[in-house]
Amino acid sequence: MIITTKRDFQELMENIKNYKSFFLIGCSECAALCGTGGEPELKEMKEALEAEGKKVTGAFVAKTGCQVLGTKVELKPFKDALAGTECILIMSCGAGTQAAVELYEDKPVYPTNDTLFLGNMTRFQMFDERCSLCGKCILDKTGGICPITACPKGLLNGPCGGTNEGKCEVSPDIECAWVRIYNRMKRINKLEDMREIAKPKDWSAHKKPMKLNIREKKEEAKK
Amino acid sequence: MSFKNAFDSGKFVVTAEVGPPKGTDIKEMLHHAEMLKGKLDAVNVTDNQSAVMRICSMAICKLLLDMGLEPILQMTCRDRNRIGLQSDLLGASVLGIKNVLCMTGDHPNAGDHKEAKPVYDVESVQLLGIVNSLNNGKDMMGNEMKGSTDFFQGAVVTPEANPLEPQLMKFEKKVKAGAKFFQTQAIYDIEKFKEFMKFAKKFPVKILAGIVLLKSAGMANYMNKFVPGIRVPQDLIDEIKAAGKEGALDTGINIAARHIKQLKEEKICDGVHIMAIGAEDKVPAIMERAGLL
Repeated sequence: MIITTKRDFQELMENIKNYKSFFLIGCSECAALCGTGGEPELKEMKEALEAEGKKVTGAFVAKTGCQVLGTKVELKPFKDALAGTECILIMSCGAGTQAAVELYEDKPVYPTNDTLFLGNMTRFQMFDERCSLCGKCILDKTGGICPITACPKGLLNGPCGGTNEGKCEVSPDIECAWVRIYNRMKRINKLEDMREIAKPKDWSAHKKPMKLNIREKKEEAKK
Repeated sequence: MSFKNAFDSGKFVVTAEVGPPKGTDIKEMLHHAEMLKGKLDAVNVTDNQSAVMRICSMAICKLLLDMGLEPILQMTCRDRNRIGLQSDLLGASVLGIKNVLCMTGDHPNAGDHKEAKPVYDVESVQLLGIVNSLNNGKDMMGNEMKGSTDFFQGAVVTPEANPLEPQLMKFEKKVKAGAKFFQTQAIYDIEKFKEFMKFAKKFPVKILAGIVLLKSAGMANYMNKFVPGIRVPQDLIDEIKAAGKEGALDTGINIAARHIKQLKEEKICDGVHIMAIGAEDKVPAIMERAGLL
């Protein structure tokens, strides 16, 4: 899921100081789980804005805020509230914010959150980054642990000189990714695979902006 | 005699490190270089060491070359992508720089530009492979080049890394990728280093033991606590402590000299790489007491 965190409220107030009325859009998926854009957070935001003398014309938690058409349909009943607001606040991720920008071309749209990473939820409201969405998976070579993500340097050929008793030079709070991979490879009897030199990564597999059109592919296959 | 030839001749090779300064005032650095001239087989010039922004290694290498010293260009993968690295290698080659030390490089987090975007498009093993390609007249993509490089390329290794096995596996990868010489992280326990050398001797590479000058007991304790792969034994710390504040540096010089002497006399490795870290003017004293001058 996409991990988000709330921006500083005073910073948000500074960004939106010229507007008086707001419509809030949350998201029931990742943002709700992160505690940044579910029902309770929208309620909290409404109260905080009102305490600052702002008007909230409406609030809605979209099912999946990054799904552009679905969100458009869901928001139809809020037509008047949206028409009557000066500004839209998005309480999900950067993708959710830009879905709203696409849907409401004439309204200023502001994010209330910072978008951090693609995360695993390890415990309730605890998240770890494990995948960098690099476009070409190497997990089959590294015992299922991604060094592009887990190693601050994204090394592909083993630990650097900064590895220290299993910890990373960048922070003792980080487990050395390559010591983890080494231990894992040993456990699954694959240590010999670690001897193979990994070639420089093909970053052209991650050319921004990425796009995928499965429909087109299916139609081509039909022909 | 070139650095490479020095190894081939079988002599005990000695290199030292010079750190480019931050800013354009290079008087002190040139003074240190002048002191080292004629005493060393090569001078190793760091590349934005500890991720602290300084003069680039290549410019200082060229200055040293013009002064008649043999430079080793340190190249890290932190600040340049594969295009930048190859381009700089070609540039170094036409400037007459013959030796390159390939490293991954400290993370920006360690330095004075913590907000920098780390590059690490390739890393040490891959950079060695790149040098190999350039030496063979092709860039890393296999494109033919007009004229090839002729680098003598090396790498680094930490003999006291913990756990050791993945470090040794990486050492082997570096050998396979074309490393001809290695300089080690600072070593203080010669007996332990002998264990590493038993392993390293199986490979056709030259090993320079890293000698970091101990300037105080505090420095030793600091390194033990914070520098990965460095372990200063307690008896050495006690020895420096016993010398008092006044005698600490002198004792540090003695320890470095003693270790170098033992490494040479017992033919444990192919040479040493002296890192005086800010006390480059003490390198001649270390060499003298080690019987190298």
